[in-house]
Amino acid sequence: MRGYLCEDSLEGIFTGIYDAWASGLGHDGVRVLMKNQYEPEFFMEYEEVLPDSEKAEKVARSIRRKISAEAFRAVYRTAVSREPERADIIYRFLVEGFRYGRETLQLLQLPAVRRLFEVDRMVGNEAHRYLEFIRFEQMKNGVLFAEISPKSRVVTLVASHFADRFPDENWVIYDDVHGEAAIHGAGKDWAVAGLSLEEADAYRRNQGVSDEYEDLWKTFFEATGIRERENYHCQRNFLPLWYRKHMTEFSSSR
Amino acid sequence: MEIGQEITGLQEKLRILADAAKYDVACTSSGVGRSGKRGYTGNSVAAGICHSFASDGRCISLLKILLTNHCIYDCKYCINRRSNDVVRTAFTPDEVCRLTMEFYRRNYIEGLFLSSGVIKSPNYTMEQIYEVLYKLREVYRFRGYIHIKAIPGADESILDAVGLLADRMSINLELPTAESLHALAPHKSRETILTPMRRIQGKISESRISMGQSPSLERAWGVKNFSHGIFSEKEERISDTGAAAASESSLTVESSLTVPGQSRYPARQREIRTYAPAGQSTQLIVGATPESDYHMMMVTQALYRQYDLKRVFFSAYVGLNEDSALPAPGEKPPLLREHRLYQADWLLRYYGFRAEELLSEDRPNFNVYLDPKCDWAVRHLECFPVEIMRADYETLLRVPGIGAKSARRILQARRIGKLDFFDLKKLGVVLKRAHYFIILNGKQMFPTALEENRITAGLIGDSRKKNWELEHTECYRQLNLFDDMKLSVEAEAEDFGKAAMGQL
Repeated sequence: MRGYLCEDSLEGIFTGIYDAWASGLGHDGVRVLMKNQYEPEFFMEYEEVLPDSEKAEKVARSIRRKISAEAFRAVYRTAVSREPERADIIYRFLVEGFRYGRETLQLLQLPAVRRLFEVDRMVGNEAHRYLEFIRFEQMKNGVLFAEISPKSRVVTLVASHFADRFPDENWVIYDDVHGEAAIHGAGKDWAVAGLSLEEADAYRRNQGVSDEYEDLWKTFFEATGIRERENYHCQRNFLPLWYRKHMTEFSSSR
Repeated sequence: MEIGQEITGLQEKLRILADAAKYDVACTSSGVGRSGKRGYTGNSVAAGICHSFASDGRCISLLKILLTNHCIYDCKYCINRRSNDVVRTAFTPDEVCRLTMEFYRRNYIEGLFLSSGVIKSPNYTMEQIYEVLYKLREVYRFRGYIHIKAIPGADESILDAVGLLADRMSINLELPTAESLHALAPHKSRETILTPMRRIQGKISESRISMGQSPSLERAWGVKNFSHGIFSEKEERISDTGAAAASESSLTVESSLTVPGQSRYPARQREIRTYAPAGQSTQLIVGATPESDYHMMMVTQALYRQYDLKRVFFSAYVGLNEDSALPAPGEKPPLLREHRLYQADWLLRYYGFRAEELLSEDRPNFNVYLDPKCDWAVRHLECFPVEIMRADYETLLRVPGIGAKSARRILQARRIGKLDFFDLKKLGVVLKRAHYFIILNGKQMFPTALEENRITAGLIGDSRKKNWELEHTECYRQLNLFDDMKLSVEAEAEDFGKAAMGQL
């Protein structure tokens, strides 16, 4: 059995899938693995894959054409998850996908489809939670700056929502776990850029300012809960503690 | 009218007016999809977005505030009634707009929920609300979600103007019967509530027709085709006032957008606006008056069918005021009852049930131990077992443990191949409840007899802990052998029998 080790990017994963498929070893003879997240096994040989935009483009085109655009989105979300086997999950899904075509995503009785569906749902849910729980801080220069610590790399999944919502604002959504940020300039399109923690901290030190609306928001947040119905269990179900790290209403020291 | 000490600080005002508005339950931002636009701030997502969850576990989606808590009315259940000695204050329109915009920019909220105490007169109050709304849309150029509470008794012309700027309108019915309303809210009457509700309904359907949509609101997938759900189009509606109101007036786009009293309330010119595109909703107070669940559900159903409401909300009464006509302050709000009513409300709107199937004159209240769907199922074993591979959508939805999502996944997955029980579990079916009622490829999951007592005992065992937690949140104590789990209902003769048989 041969393992193809690919880089942690959509391009890397798709190139790995392309090479594995083209190897002629059959689907049972290959596995696609993440270079930074795999466990070496004794009876496997490994081959490193360098990202190749042409091969990746071919894979992406086939998914859109032979399965569906919705399937491509599901594959994309799986690729940005933190599931260590995500590359292989996508590979197994594509094996079924090229067989069943348009309806593949609905065939949840197939284990390969189900696996992709579960990871996709997890990432999709997390991205949706961030649409809810991202909190912007206003900087001195008027830029809105949000910091998040997501499990999956969600910035590309949430950025278009905020670009539509705040077309005339300058904003940054910074993912401090994966060191990347979605950056939007007023009236322009958004883009993703690498941003290290030091750079982000330096920026915030220079531009940071205490904001009266943060206090007003905390006031509102406390006033709107009904004491007679207090139910912290329910609150934690909807808003798990790990999302609260960067949320204005749960931070005390600002 | 009394003038107490005026509060000037914005923070203090916000504290008072958010606190005063919190007993209104509706905080949804759903029902309208609208994309953003250059030069404006905001968009709206059809599914709605919650932005935070308060200490009571309720979602915070909108900036829910009163414009003022001054009030000329004296509704007994209300904290802001005239006879209460509370600090009174009011926002200026600019303060509301600024708060909304700045909160929105920081992604704290999805929009504004504006209600108000009645100051001077209903018309004057609505004019104040209109001013906020107009400024927010036209001056601050806000495209997010706005929910407006209409004040009962205000003129139709101003309701019409407000509706063109808001996304959702609501008027609180508060109490299901005219007698209760008269007893607790002497300044309100059914007419002053139902007349504007009817007016809004007519305006919504008129606006929908002019936009090329059906006169009645969109509902959950499939429910309009059910054989006897409350939104079924196959049978004649009890009343088709929506369509009638629309057909009376001419149906041109211009006429539906012309606002009566145009000079006073200028309508937006640049863009065609639909009238309250997210529909209207209302709220009923649970537990302040002696009405039964059956009564509440019948009223709810009538509101959906005759007034085409998008949602009916239930609010467990929280005792605030000392009054002989009300439960004493400090009494626990009836949370389990509220929960059961919401469950039943979903059964009406998504599952094709009717209120009279769930309850009747003889059984006027919901089962404390079982949710309404399980309760219905164990009393209608003649409808079961259901063969998963062949049953239609409507039948699948009636099985406890199968919801709208899992039913649709079943429909899609079974077209290609066989399913087994493990697959069902992965599709989202709650087999713990469903396995009594289904067969798959001709086989049951476990060999269980289709027997009312046995199934009830099985189902109750699963849900007892959950129900108890609902009633007694966050009050842990040591378990002991003689614990009665603090169940608040009296045991009935039947229960003793079951306990003796070891079934409960």
